[in-house]
Amino acid sequence: MSYYDIDAILTDAEKLPCTFQIDVPDLGYLDNAPTQTLRAGAKVALPLWLAEMLAVANDDQGKSFVNFDLPRALGNDVIQALKADPRAVPLRDQSAHFFGLATRMMDLLAEEQELGSVLRKTFVTRATEIALHARKVGGGGKAAGGDDGASNLGVGGAGEEFLRGLDETERKLFRKAHEGAKAAKEWMENVKKH
Amino acid sequence: MDIDDILREVDPVFHAVPQEKRDLQDLTRAWVAERCAPELLHWPADGLFERVNDNIKRQIEKVEEMTGDMDPKTNFALIVLQTELERFKYIVRSYLRARIAKIDRHTLHYLSTDELRSRLSEMELAYATRHQALLHNHYLSSFLSSFPPQMQNLNDAGGNSTMIDTPDLESAVFIRLLIDTVVEGRGVDADGEMNGKVDDIVILRWSDAKPLVDAGSAELV
Amino acid sequence: MPLYGDLGNKLVQHAKRTQNLIHLPPYQAELVRAVAREVRDLDRDLKSILEPFQGSFDPTADQATACTLLVNHLSMRRNKRCLLAYHRTRADKLEELVWSGADVLDLAGQQTAGGANGVMGANDGGASSLSPQEEDYVRQYGDLLAAYKGQWTDIDLTGSLEPPRDLFIDVRVLKDAGEIQTEYGAINLTRNSQFYVRQGDVERLISQGYLQKLG
Repeated sequence: MSYYDIDAILTDAEKLPCTFQIDVPDLGYLDNAPTQTLRAGAKVALPLWLAEMLAVANDDQGKSFVNFDLPRALGNDVIQALKADPRAVPLRDQSAHFFGLATRMMDLLAEEQELGSVLRKTFVTRATEIALHARKVGGGGKAAGGDDGASNLGVGGAGEEFLRGLDETERKLFRKAHEGAKAAKEWMENVKKH
Repeated sequence: MDIDDILREVDPVFHAVPQEKRDLQDLTRAWVAERCAPELLHWPADGLFERVNDNIKRQIEKVEEMTGDMDPKTNFALIVLQTELERFKYIVRSYLRARIAKIDRHTLHYLSTDELRSRLSEMELAYATRHQALLHNHYLSSFLSSFPPQMQNLNDAGGNSTMIDTPDLESAVFIRLLIDTVVEGRGVDADGEMNGKVDDIVILRWSDAKPLVDAGSAELV
Repeated sequence: MPLYGDLGNKLVQHAKRTQNLIHLPPYQAELVRAVAREVRDLDRDLKSILEPFQGSFDPTADQATACTLLVNHLSMRRNKRCLLAYHRTRADKLEELVWSGADVLDLAGQQTAGGANGVMGANDGGASSLSPQEEDYVRQYGDLLAAYKGQWTDIDLTGSLEPPRDLFIDVRVLKDAGEIQTEYGAINLTRNSQFYVRQGDVERLISQGYLQKLG
């Protein structure tokens, strides 16, 4: 994970549902009550950068400061929907950094093997779909250099809806695939010309 | 041992190839490799770039000499020479820019050990050192100097994260095999192995390809 | 109640937007100051929590304090990362502009809407999109790049990264650029005129927007 990477930093800000395991007098502000002790058992949503380290740190009996659960974006409803049809879920509505978050969670929760395989299948299925769309866009005749790549997400119909639901990782993938397809097309045209 | 040594062994005529032509081959190979590899490769130690640079200088002088002459015959030669010159300049430029881009992205990484520093040319080392100093200075004057002293470093490591970004050595590259050799590649679920033949083109992780490329058994494409 | 690190996150969202823009949006001086202040506040808290222990704090004996200290420390680290990434994103953008040959400081001056003139407009108008520190950085990086380029005078390091195809190209003049010297004599570049010129001679003018390549 890159220290200066903007998307990695934003992914780190995604919140996880956490449960405190000990009483902490000075941390009431985390639960909107600055003057009160944060009690063991209190449920607080904490950003990943905080939750992860608080969960890892523990006393000599191996008890952590907090335990955390999966974020809602990776909750049962979403996973069931992804199992049914990975392409039908607008991941962006769950989290703009859905796969970044998913990767971080899988690093923390290696035992969640079933979740891992659903996510992987989701990524592969959607990536194929993305590649398909990336090739279609701008492929309709216009001379090379006609579109600037800035606003070519509009493809119309169901495709448009699917592309709107891409998370940041997928958007990057789409852009790369699109640039690749465009460059290949330009190259082919040049070969024909010369 | 690199590809030239191999060629020399199997082909005694190899020495007859003029230095300039060999330099162009080496330059092209270095350029393609640098553009394809996810990490910075070694600056050629054999004075390749000094020779190429001298060659470009000589060509420019020749072009200038010939420009005054408007005889159509030499004029055609001039255009050929200029086209060749532009191509040479482009390859060197593109090579240097590819390297600077990598150095800029992971400056602290390439300055962190002697082995990594030795990959840079003297000029690149001077550039990288100064660039890093300018950046640190910029951070200090913008906000960092108001931090408690123990928070002012740019190279903290520990707590399962490091501030020093490194290139991704697991990203995929294409290689062409220069000899018959076994190619081993690690996958996500299982590892793979194949008996590669000369001219086979293989896609694999850079970390798996690097030993083959370093040994001269394969080249990046 | 805002959490420590929320302001830092705002800064990174600015950086995210910056990545997708061609121009450089205004420097968030206010926000940068606030995030840096948060770091100093957290450090002060940290010191005052530790003070009664006189250097003999035992984290296993006092879990609650250990937890508070960890949260403090992580929040400081998070803010530092946000600040660095924000400044780095902008510095990358500035370097890109320096490479492209744009007169960055002049551009920054033009964006001062109040009409404060030119490069130094930032001081009185305060509306430059660059911070004074960034203006310094641009100057210093420009010098560094010039020094590195100077070692490769024949290559023109900032030239086009498109492989050369045609030695000569057709260009149209978009802005008056005065007279330039080429190997084939002087050409006077007046607006809307067209020329057939050697690509290497006019690359800089194309990237600076004076000329447009035709065909």
